[in-house]
Amino acid sequence: MKTATPTSDRLLDLSERFLSGPSGETQSAFITLLKELRLAIAVGHFDDASRVLQRTISPSLDYTSALALYRIRKDLRGRVTQPISLRLAVLGGFTTTQITGFIDLCLFALGIEAHIYESDFGVFRQEILAADSPLYEFQPQVVWIGVSRRDLAHRPTIGNRGNAAQAVVDAERNEWASLWAAVNQHGGCHVIQNNFVLPPWRACSNYEMREEGTFGRYLADVNRALADEPPPYVTIHDTDHLAAAAGRWSWDDPRFAHHAKLPCAPEHLLDYAYNVASLLAVQVGVTKKCLVLDLDNTLWGGVIGDDGLGGIRLGHGTAEGEAFLAFQDYARTLQQRGILLAVCSKNTEETARDVFVNHPEMLLRLEDISSFKANWDDKATNLQAIAAELNIGLNSLVFVDDNPAERAIVRRFTPDVAVPELPDDAAGYIEAIERHRYFQTLSIAAEDLQRAQYYRTDALRKAVQTSAVDLNTFLQSLAMTAQISPVTTASLERTVQLIQRSNQFNLTTRRYSAAEVLERVSDPLSVTATVSLSDRFGDNGLISIAFASPKNEALEIDLWLMSCRVLKRGVEHCLLNHLCAIAKSGGLVKLRGEYVPTPKNGMVRRHYADLGFTEVESDETGRTVWELELDTWEPLPHFIAIQVASETETT
Amino acid sequence: MTRDEIREQVEQVFQDVFQDDDVRLRDDMTANDVEGWDSLMHVNLIIALEKRLAIKFAAAEISRLTEPGQNVGNLLDLVMRKRSQRA
Repeated sequence: MKTATPTSDRLLDLSERFLSGPSGETQSAFITLLKELRLAIAVGHFDDASRVLQRTISPSLDYTSALALYRIRKDLRGRVTQPISLRLAVLGGFTTTQITGFIDLCLFALGIEAHIYESDFGVFRQEILAADSPLYEFQPQVVWIGVSRRDLAHRPTIGNRGNAAQAVVDAERNEWASLWAAVNQHGGCHVIQNNFVLPPWRACSNYEMREEGTFGRYLADVNRALADEPPPYVTIHDTDHLAAAAGRWSWDDPRFAHHAKLPCAPEHLLDYAYNVASLLAVQVGVTKKCLVLDLDNTLWGGVIGDDGLGGIRLGHGTAEGEAFLAFQDYARTLQQRGILLAVCSKNTEETARDVFVNHPEMLLRLEDISSFKANWDDKATNLQAIAAELNIGLNSLVFVDDNPAERAIVRRFTPDVAVPELPDDAAGYIEAIERHRYFQTLSIAAEDLQRAQYYRTDALRKAVQTSAVDLNTFLQSLAMTAQISPVTTASLERTVQLIQRSNQFNLTTRRYSAAEVLERVSDPLSVTATVSLSDRFGDNGLISIAFASPKNEALEIDLWLMSCRVLKRGVEHCLLNHLCAIAKSGGLVKLRGEYVPTPKNGMVRRHYADLGFTEVESDETGRTVWELELDTWEPLPHFIAIQVASETETT
Repeated sequence: MTRDEIREQVEQVFQDVFQDDDVRLRDDMTANDVEGWDSLMHVNLIIALEKRLAIKFAAAEISRLTEPGQNVGNLLDLVMRKRSQRA
C-alpha cells in the first residue's frame, strides 16, 4: 500500500485522536501516528514532526509508548533547532540510561535542547571529586546527582538513639554536602540532589518513625537534614514524595532493581523524569505563571446560562459538587503561592461574574482572578488577550477546559499554551494537571506570596492613571520610593528567580544560576544592583536587576532586566543614575551596554538608545552594543525617592 | 491461549519494541538473531511483555533468559506457563 506524504494537518489530527479520541481508538491512533512521524522524518519534514511530537508527549504515556516517542526524538536530534539549550550532567548511582532518555524527552516537549553527559553507573563520587574528570571537561550548567538509598554512605543501627543516632545522620548529610561543595568548586554549576526514598517495608512496623535507629526513621531524618537550608546552588529533588504519591510498594520494583539497577518500577520512570525535567526547566527560565480556567463543568457542574445559580452543582452535599469544590480549593492554593488565575469562558460576562459574587459555595472570588474573559469570542483569541493583559507570554499559560473540542482548538491555534488532557470526572482534574509539573519552582520568595496583591493594586493604579491629567502628575501622585542595593543573602532567592523568569524587559536574557550570582556577589570588582519599589498603593517588591563589571575604562552591563509590572514608572532612569554614579566613583569614563535579541525581548531593543547611549557595534544576529560617555552626562529625571543601601550584609 | 496465539502476541511486542514490523519469531532464535537485542532492550522487552500479556516475571527468570543457550522457544514456554497459571 502506498502511503501519501504526511502533512502537518494529518499529523496534528492523529496526535489529537491519540490524546483525546475515544479510548478504544487511542492505541491504533498511536501506532499510526508513530509510523507517520517516522515517515515525516524520512522525507525531511523535521519541523512538522517535531511540533507534533512535542504536543504528544504527556505524563500519562506508558513506558513502552514513551520509549517509542523517545526514539523519534533521537531521530530529530540535530535536525531541529530549539529556542533554549541546557548542558546537563547526570551522575547516577543507578542505571540512568532510561530515565535520562525520558528527561531529554520531557525537556524536548518544553522546547529545550538538552546536551547530556552521563557518567558510568556508580562512579559519581570519583567524577565529582577529581577536578580533571570528564564531568568538568563537559562544562555542565546543572549536575543531577541521581542516587538512591543503595548509595547511602552510612547505615543506622537499631538501638542507636539520641546523639549516637544523630551523629550518623550528620555524617551522612556531610558526605553529600562535601560532594556539592566539590561540584561548586570545580564546576561552578547548579546541583540537583536526590533525596532518599523510604522503603515500603519496616523492621519496626508502625513504630518505625519513633525508633531513631530504624532505616525508615534514618532516611526521614537524612531527608530532613538535606532539605534544611542547603546552599543556594543546591536543589533537593524530592524523590521520596514521588514514591509516596505513587504508593511505595508500587514505586519499588525490586526485580528491576536487582536485574538492571533501575531506580523504580519502569511504569513510574516517566513520572520521575517529568519531575526532574521540570526542575531543570525552571533553571533555564521555562515555567508557567498562570492557570486559565474555563467555568461550566470545569469550576462547577452544569451550565450557568442554562441551569442558573440554583441549578449548577457546586459545594457540599453531592459528590460532584464536592469534586468541583476540591478543584477550586487546589486552584486557590496555587494562587496563594503566586500562580495567577484567569478565567476564559463562553458565557455572558454578567452571568459568569454573578456566580463568583453570589454563589454561597464558591471558593474562588472575583479578586482571586487576575484576568476575567467571559464572552463569545473564540478561546484562542481570549487567551491572547489574557496574556497581553497580564504582560506574560502565551507559553506561560496553562489552559484547563473540560471540553475536548475547545482543548483541540486551543492546541491548534495557540500551540504555545499548555493544554492538559482532563478526565471526564472532575474528581480527576487535580491529578491530571499536577502530573505535568507545570508550576515547578526552586524557591518561594515573599514576592510570590504577594503576587496577586501586586496585580490588584495595579488595577487601582490604572484607575488613577486614567483620572490623572498627564503622565508626570500621575507618576508624582504615586509617591514612589525605590531601594537600590547589591544582592544580599535575603534577596538572593528572589534575584535568581527574576533572572530565571523575566523574558520581555530583559536585555541579554542570561539565566545566571544561584552559584553564578553568588560568584558575582563575592567578586569585589563586580557590581550587582537590585531595585525594590513601593508606592502609595503598596509594595511592588524586588522588580529590577542589573549586573556590571569594569572593563577597559568602562562599566560593562551584562545583565539588565525588570518586571513588566513596573514599566514606564522611571525605574530605568533610577538604575542608570545609580550605575553611572558607581562608574564615576570608580574612575571609569563610560558605560557599555549590550542588547541580545530573543523572540520575546523586542520591547527593549531601543532601551539604550532611549537612555542616551550611542550604538557602537552590531552584528547579523541583531545583537547591538552601546556606550554612554560619562564626562558630559547628567543624571536623568524621575519621580522616585531613592534609598541606596550600603554594602552591608552581602553574602 | 494456544502456543501459536502466544507467539503472535509476543511477536507483536517484539515488533513494537524493536520497531521492526518484519520481526518473525522462531523457537530457535536467540538474542544474537535480533538486531539490537542487548541488555537494555531486554529490559524494555520484559516490561512490554508484562504489560501486554498481564503476566509477571520473577527476577531470576528475567536474568535467566539472557543466559547462553536460552532462546525464543524458552521465552514462549515461560509466557505460556505464566498465562495458564493466571487462568
